[in-house]
This record gives sequence, C-alpha cells and structure tokens, in this order.
Amino acid sequence: MSDAIDERRSRGPVQRKGLGPRPVGWLDPRGRTLGHLAFVANRITGLGLVFYLYLHLAVLSLLLPGGEAWNDFLELATTTVFLLLDVLLLFGLLYHGLNGLRVTLVGTGYVPNRQKALWWAGAVIGTLVLALAAIRILGES
Amino acid sequence: MSMTIDARTDTDAAGTAAPPAGTRRFRVFRYKRGDERPHYETFEVPVGYRTTVFEALRWIQVHRDRTLALRHSCLHASCGTCGVRVNGKEALACVTMVHDVGREITVEPIANVPVLTDLVVDMREVFERFPDDHPIVRGSEFLDDADTPEGIASYERYEDCIECGLCVSACPVVVTAERYVGPAALAWGERVLEEPRGAEVANLLSWANAPDGVWRCHAIFECTAACPSGVNPAARIMSLRGTLLGRRLRKQPRGSDPT
Amino acid sequence: MTSASGTRPFHVLIVGGGGTGGALAHDLTLRGLKVTLVERGEFTSGTTGRHHGLLHSGARYAVGDAESAIECIEENTILRRICPGTFEENDGLFVAITDEDMEYYDDFVKACADCGIPAQELTREQALALEPNLNPSLKAAVRVPDATMDAMRMPLRFFATAKRNGADLRNYVEVLDLVVNDRVVSGAVVRDHVTGKVAEISADIVVSATGPWSEKVAGMAGVDVPIRPSPGVMLALRGRLCNMVVNRMHRSGDGDIIVPQRALSIVGTSSWTVDDPEELDVPVDHVQRMYEEGAKLIPDVARAEFRSAWSAARPLIGSRGDADTGRELSRTFKTYDHAETDGVEGFVTITGGKATTLRGMAELCADIVCRKLGVEADCRTRETVLAPHTEVYAA
Repeated sequence: MSDAIDERRSRGPVQRKGLGPRPVGWLDPRGRTLGHLAFVANRITGLGLVFYLYLHLAVLSLLLPGGEAWNDFLELATTTVFLLLDVLLLFGLLYHGLNGLRVTLVGTGYVPNRQKALWWAGAVIGTLVLALAAIRILGES
Repeated sequence: MSMTIDARTDTDAAGTAAPPAGTRRFRVFRYKRGDERPHYETFEVPVGYRTTVFEALRWIQVHRDRTLALRHSCLHASCGTCGVRVNGKEALACVTMVHDVGREITVEPIANVPVLTDLVVDMREVFERFPDDHPIVRGSEFLDDADTPEGIASYERYEDCIECGLCVSACPVVVTAERYVGPAALAWGERVLEEPRGAEVANLLSWANAPDGVWRCHAIFECTAACPSGVNPAARIMSLRGTLLGRRLRKQPRGSDPT
Repeated sequence: MTSASGTRPFHVLIVGGGGTGGALAHDLTLRGLKVTLVERGEFTSGTTGRHHGLLHSGARYAVGDAESAIECIEENTILRRICPGTFEENDGLFVAITDEDMEYYDDFVKACADCGIPAQELTREQALALEPNLNPSLKAAVRVPDATMDAMRMPLRFFATAKRNGADLRNYVEVLDLVVNDRVVSGAVVRDHVTGKVAEISADIVVSATGPWSEKVAGMAGVDVPIRPSPGVMLALRGRLCNMVVNRMHRSGDGDIIVPQRALSIVGTSSWTVDDPEELDVPVDHVQRMYEEGAKLIPDVARAEFRSAWSAARPLIGSRGDADTGRELSRTFKTYDHAETDGVEGFVTITGGKATTLRGMAELCADIVCRKLGVEADCRTRETVLAPHTEVYAA
C-alpha cells in the first residue's frame, strides 16, 4: 500500500475562495463581516486616490503651455458631472483618511476591541462632513 | 424548577411546538485524490428542530454515501476538528444548528489549507505555523476569589485556542500571502509572551516581528469574527504590534528578554 | 522481533484509531514491532474524543467496582507523569447534597482508602471556599485526585510518539473486511477515503481496538465478542462554573458529574444500550435531566448558556440480555485472544475500559500480542514521556 501513502502525502488542490485567480481572493465577500468591508473599501479608495493623483498631475500640466488649455479645463471643471466627481473624490479622501486613522489606532495596539465602533464613528463623521461639503459644492453650480 | 432550556427540546420556553421537522437540501463539496477537479453533490437530509450540521453530514455518511470523509471528534467545540464553511461562512459543524442556517446548505472545507479529501483538510499547514513551544494549559482566570486545595498553588485550564483553523480560513491576507504566519499562530505567540509558563520566549519577538509575522496583518478582524472559542486573535496581534513598537521606540534590540 | 524466517520484523495491524489503538501502537512500536494503524475517520472520532474529559481518580467505582477503581488510580498517576502539561490538574470533589447522600459517605471514604485513592474529607464551608458556585445546601465533600483531560489531545500524544518512532498511522482508511483463510486472519481489505481506492494490508496479527464496534469487526473474522454499545448524553455549557471536577456523592446515576474544560462546563451523563453505535440519538429528556441533576450540584447550571448536547457510546463488556441500562456491566477491560477463545489465529480484540485506562489496556494487549508472536520485550510505556500532540500533524 506504499503507493497509496505517497500519493496521499502529495497535496490536493487548495480550496481557495475568490472570484478568480489568487490576486482577487481578498475581494470574496462570502461569510465576511464589517472588518472585511472596511478593508476592501480602503484598498479600493486607495487605488482610486492614486489614480486621481495622476489625473491631478496631468491636469496641472495643462498650466505649462499657457492660459488657453487651462481656461478650457476650468469650464469643464464647473459642470455638474465634474462637481459630482469632486464629491466622489471627497468621499474617497474622507473614507481612506478616517479609516486610515482607525487602522493606525487599532493596529498599534490601542483599543483593538473597539474597532467596529470606531468604524461607525468614522462613518458618521464622514457622512456629516461629506453632506455639508456636497451641499456647498453642488449648491454653487 | 424553571429554567430556559433551549437545548434539544422541541418546544420553546413558552411551550409552543417547534416547526415540524422536515428535510433540508445539502450541497456537499466532494474531492478524492486523483479527481481532475472537485464537484458538489446534493442530498436531501431529514432534520429535526435541533439537528446540527455535523449530524446531517453524518446522516449522509451513514445512509447515503459511506465514502464521504468527515473530520470530527469531541462534538462540543473543544477539539476544533469539525471546522467547515457553511454557506461560505466558517463554522464548527458540531455546534451549528441547521435550523439557523437556511433551507439550502452548502458545506465546504475550510479555505486556504490544502484539501485532503471531501470536507477534510490537511492540517499540517495550520500546525506548522505555530511557535514550537506553546503550552496548552494556562492559569484559570475563572472564580479567582476561590481558595485552592492544599498542594495546588493555582487553578489551571486549557487555552481557548482549539486549533480549528477557522481564523486561517477567514483571513483575506492568507489567501494572497502564502508565507504569512497567520492569526492562530500569532495569537499563540502572544499568549506565550503573556504567560510563558516555562516556554522558550527569547525568539518569539523576532519571529513575530518578521515581515510575514505581525506586519503582514491588515487589521481586518475576520479572524476574531470567525473564532468559535473567544481567542480574539486580531486583538492579540495588535497587542504584539504595540509591544514591538514600544520596544523599537525605546530602542531595545529585537529578540531580547521581553519582560 | 523478527518473523520466523528472520527477514523482517513482525507486523501488527491495529484496526481502530481511538485512545486504545493509539496507546497500543505506541507500546508495540517501543517493543520493536512494525505497526500499522487504520482508522476510518479522524483519530479519536469514535467514542474516545466524545467523553466529558474526566481523568478518573477511580473514586466513582471505589464502592461498587474496586477492580476498576484501582486500575483508574494507577493509570491516573502514570498519565500525569508521561503527559505533563496535558491536564487541568485541579483535583475533584465528591459532594453530598442530601441526607441520602450522607448515608453513602462512610462507605465511600472507606472504599477510597481501600483502593489507594487519596481522599481528603472537607466541611461544607471548606468546600464552598474552594468552589463558590456549589449548591449552598451541600452537607459535606471529599476531595479526590480527579483532573480534566482533553479527550482528543491527550490520546493524540500516544499517536504522535508512535509516529515519531516509525509507526504507520493511517486515518481515513476504513476496514471493509478481514482477510480470513482456514480460520487464520492474515490482514484486512481497506478503502482509503482519500483516494477512494480499495487495497489489502497483510499482517502477522490483526488487533481490533474498535470500542463499541468490536462486535461488528469480530464478526468479520467469524467470531463474537460480548460488547454492548452503551451511549450516554452529555451537555456542554458556556462558562467555567467550577475549576475542580464536581461529582455527586452517591451510587452512579444520571447527571452526577460536572467537568470543567477550558471555558466550558460539561454535565454528564446518562446511559442506555443500543445494538448499533453508528448514529446515536440525543434524547431530549436525557438532556433535561442533565440540567436538573447538574443544577443540584451547581445551581447556575440551570441558567448557563447552551453550547452543545451529544451522545457517545461506551463499549461495555457483558453478554446480550445482561442489562438494560448498561451501568450494571463492568467497566474494566478485556483482551480476547481469539485463538484461545474461538480457534481463530492471528486475531485479537481489546475492548471495554475507559479513557483513563488507555495505557494499561494497551500494555495488557501488547503482552498478549508479543506472547502470540514469541516476542520477548518489556513494556516501556509507564516511563516514556510522550511527544506533543501537534506532532501528529506537523513533526
């Protein structure tokens, strides 16, 4: 029966979760709770903010050749769609920033058992700030 | 004598009869070594008001398919062997009531650990990550005002961690970071530091301080949510981080006496 | 330890991966034999893993079954020596609640002394100081060297040591039939549940260590063993209501023990007999009785949060028609050399007993196996400190 033993000692397929190959395994929401949502949203907003950074630099580079391109951009920047995107950007900043604070506090050993409460506190603060800001931003259009 | 018995009774505290027993559809993960890929088999299982997932799986094994491999031992959340995923969520089969899960129940082995057969995983990868020297008996914090009998200095009890691997299954980081030591192992490390009981602690801090140690954790807390035994691995990892940071700020060398 | 032709060591196939099988694998390996063990599920997944976790002092049997009691206290002492750091060593109490209990008191104390079980008499106040949750109307208590064991992890240490010493331990391998020719058992036909394949394992001797399944396996060799599967219900509650084991001071009855285990309290047990140990009921009225009887010892049992209720089948030795409840049957263990009892060569059954006596059972059985093979080797399991249980999975 030694063949059967050696066969058994080699590994079987790893039952991985996930929507596809490994790199997106962390996205799989099945069976997950708040902490996972917070983490996934943090990663997505993080990626979004990096993307925005490049956009921002690209936009600023419009200043280099002179006033024309910049003025065209300003016209675009005051349309409703663009302002809505600004609100989205603010959401990303607020979420990533506030959650980042939470992760820093919790992740260095302060109040780890309050991590859910901290998330909700951040959610409340963030929503308030976002709402007020949205009113200001969209109110001017 | 009045007591709230919600145990195995078929009536609740008010004496109302439970919903009639019926059947539930179980979708069970199947795999034998040599199969090209795993597949799922469906069974209609008769269940009572308080049937557990383990009992349902055992019914399938006894009445439908003797080749279904199951892992179990104590049947009371103490041995940690019956860890599975029920509808995608980590659970111990022996204390999960079918009634609480739903009409259609998918049972799969725990994730992130190689599958041996059907619902049984090869636990070697879970145990290999643990620190070498981790005592399984600790001081008992229960009833700490009580006297102890002559000759016994203090009461002791088993550690909470039952080595079930549910935390390893639940951790989204383990999915992509193969060498991450993982929540169970780090929680053991923190317990040994907290209460050495003669275990070897000198290398524990440098073991925890590694890139694939505490710093690989993303503070997601799924491990704590999945743990059936109250270990709270996430908080223990954070506590280890706090300790390591504190030592770093006070400019102590890594790996020295952690007292 | 070699076979007659002198070319290879004798090979023993152990059927059954419970505590007895594991301890036997360890003992025989130390005596130089080649050992293969097959278990159809996870090790200890039969009866062994399911019990409440009592490391017996033997006091429960001192009055009715002195032989059992003496076996227990001896093995209790040995196990603490060879498995350090594996028990919650807090001792236990026998608590008298009623006047009727007190009538049993003197017999109990005397019987413990006769069996060599250390017993310390305590007043009501002393008992309450040790265990504040006890029923305040208790009358007296006696302290005995009970302890809590982890029903799986303690036996796993035997498996780990046997594995370290070269034994071949195969879980998820199920015996479908024994290979018998001319009343000689020479091996087993097995299915490996990992691969799904069927194969044959040959051996010089096959030992059945299958607990309540002993009769089923014996039937494969065409012999009979008088084993009555006797299940009992246990109840796990959240919260550690006591640190010491708490027993009711009376003759054995339902729900008369509370065993603390990590952060749980296990109340046990009850007893009835069945023919087939495959699927055990968990009778609702038995669980009710656990709550009621347990609350007589520790009133908080009535309000504690439910964790689990389950059954486990003890293998009781007797013959069919002997008893209805199973309690009357002996809890000692026996080895049947089927060459002597039934004229079938190459087959031995070890059965009966309790979790605490696993090592002693294995020693007796190993002596018989070695005698059958003409092997002269002393038992070394009384002194050998065992490997940690984790080595079963990761050496």
